[in-house]
Amino acid sequence: MSTTTKAVDMQIPLGAQHISLLEPVKFTFTTQNEKIVDVGSDVGFVHRGVEHACSSKFEFKQVGFVVARICGLCAITHSMCYTAGVEKLLDAQVTQKAKYLRTLLIELDRIHSHMLCLSHTCENAGFEAMFMSLMGDREPVMGLQEAITGNRVQFDYITIGGVTREFDAQTAQKIIQVLGQTQKKIEGYIEEFQNNWSLSKKFEGIGALSPEGAYEYNAIGPLARACGLQVDVRNGLDYLPYKEVGFTTITQTGGDIHARNMVRLYEILNSIKMCRNIVEGLPEGEIQTKVRGKPQGEVITRLEAPRGELMYYLKGENKKVLDRVRIKTPTFATIPAMIEIFKGQDYADAPAILASFDPCLSCTAK
Amino acid sequence: MEKIKLEFDRIHAEIGKFYDKKTWHFMTLNGVALDENTLEVQWLFAKYESGEIVALYTVVDYGQTLPDISDIIPSAVISQREMVDMFGINVQSSEKGLYLDGDSKDHPLRKERS
Amino acid sequence: MFKLKNFRKRSLWILHYNAGSCNGCDIEILACLGPTYDLERFGVLNRGNPKQSDMLLITGPVTYRSRERVVELFTQMPEPKVVVAVGSCTCTGGVFSGMYNVEDGVDKYIPVDVYIPGCAATPEYIIDGVLKGLELLEHKSKEIVKPKKLFKKLSFHKDHIDRRGIAGKVGENDGKD
Ligand code: SF4
Repeated sequence: MSTTTKAVDMQIPLGAQHISLLEPVKFTFTTQNEKIVDVGSDVGFVHRGVEHACSSKFEFKQVGFVVARICGLCAITHSMCYTAGVEKLLDAQVTQKAKYLRTLLIELDRIHSHMLCLSHTCENAGFEAMFMSLMGDREPVMGLQEAITGNRVQFDYITIGGVTREFDAQTAQKIIQVLGQTQKKIEGYIEEFQNNWSLSKKFEGIGALSPEGAYEYNAIGPLARACGLQVDVRNGLDYLPYKEVGFTTITQTGGDIHARNMVRLYEILNSIKMCRNIVEGLPEGEIQTKVRGKPQGEVITRLEAPRGELMYYLKGENKKVLDRVRIKTPTFATIPAMIEIFKGQDYADAPAILASFDPCLSCTAK
Repeated sequence: MEKIKLEFDRIHAEIGKFYDKKTWHFMTLNGVALDENTLEVQWLFAKYESGEIVALYTVVDYGQTLPDISDIIPSAVISQREMVDMFGINVQSSEKGLYLDGDSKDHPLRKERS
Repeated sequence: MFKLKNFRKRSLWILHYNAGSCNGCDIEILACLGPTYDLERFGVLNRGNPKQSDMLLITGPVTYRSRERVVELFTQMPEPKVVVAVGSCTCTGGVFSGMYNVEDGVDKYIPVDVYIPGCAATPEYIIDGVLKGLELLEHKSKEIVKPKKLFKKLSFHKDHIDRRGIAGKVGENDGKD
């Protein structure tokens, strides 16, 4: 009897509906004895046609609220990036106070988005307790967002020319207090993520990307920073005061799930520091300025969303409706890199790797 | 934003010459419909350090076939597929169906005669 | 007497599917399952398996590509079952209504029992809606509920809907109007 074993390619689908996925996406893994050798993807389940609607149905003043509905997690980054573009086209001036408030909300959003991603990664690695605990600690931050803007998820806070609300001294106090609490919690999590033995088994060395690979595939966001690349759009941004409020670029080495988690955790700490600086050093002034005119010309604006670089290209022709709105979302640009990382990994790790990318499919497909 | 125009038949060569993976970050491929027949195609790059943005662009009509640049920039694959869907233009070795289904609207972002 | 109904009331399993939403309502559902709002105290568990679930929590205005999946998931769930539409865009299309790749609302495809408004629907609303659905579930019979669209003809095996037959046919493009 011969004992030769033939390598058989097995196709295993993940999605469109799967317990480890929040959103519909379909991966088809071709595996050989547990090892993934090829990946096919279908990311178009959530395509709605926002780009078309933004340049036909909605006026430029409304588009800011429409693009927020591309993604619930980074809604505020979408409306900020769009608004910055339109303000450039209209040559509008925004007060320093409005800029500070915008930054505050973007950073709060980043905190809760990163915490959600971390908890999701833990859940997919089989660590349910950590998922629950992180979700619980995320709620106070959601509460802050509600206290400031009036809504938990879709804020509609940023408008052309400023922001819609400001907060009183009592809320400021609450913000400082919650931020202090969260900071303590996050420091605890950093301990846990670094030293927990079972987590290290699940995360260290899994799903790694080399710095060369990151350059090759144009990786962005936490994915690239985990490989040691200094890519953060917040560096040298001209329309938000990131330098003044104490922003630093966080990088790690290794490029595996663990490094990505660490980037996210330290970024949360950095965001907390920035938020505190903003609340304590909030300038005086108005929060809204009147803006007149219609957008004319072309502009590209970029902003660092929780998942990486977000880009808007706007073209206006002195009409109420913009001529073209092109949205490049972070996950869309990282899909080639993701597929590359999957190759050579164990199938059993696939959900955890996937969660560690923090993919946002409703961004991808728009 | 700096714009550099490319000759249509030199697109691949020019991008190959321009792109250095440690200096330039390829953002995306962008299309802007100019009128019913012509389309401006932009390859958008940002510099890693300074954030300076450069757009290489060319103007094509919908009958032409864009070259595939994924041998130079592997991550361009997905943007190229998106272009095929959104504008109905042909791109070498990219097919339709990233977003659109059989009965979806064809090339939704083209300008229509009004 | 052994009454399955009583048990079902205290152990509702939900299936969550995103049919093109912006994620806003999905993260609120996740927040509901987390410790602060703790939907689990009512015995509600999120299990990603249609064949064991009693309630379909659905978000999003139904994009073209997710149509088949929605109907397939719905037909795969055993009766009695309830469908809860979470979020404005799920109920009517909301901000997405009229966009070229969406159908305005899930109730074009499957019968919906509870509509939860809000963009995004708050966790409190979601909890209310789920509990309302639980109430409705008690009065539902085991009669087979058909989806409204997509399949021209449901195939039957003896007196039952032939779920396997239908699942096999999904994607064949039959009768998308
Ligand atoms: S109702 Fe609003 S927040 Fe909820 S999924 Fe729809 S667009 Fe997003």
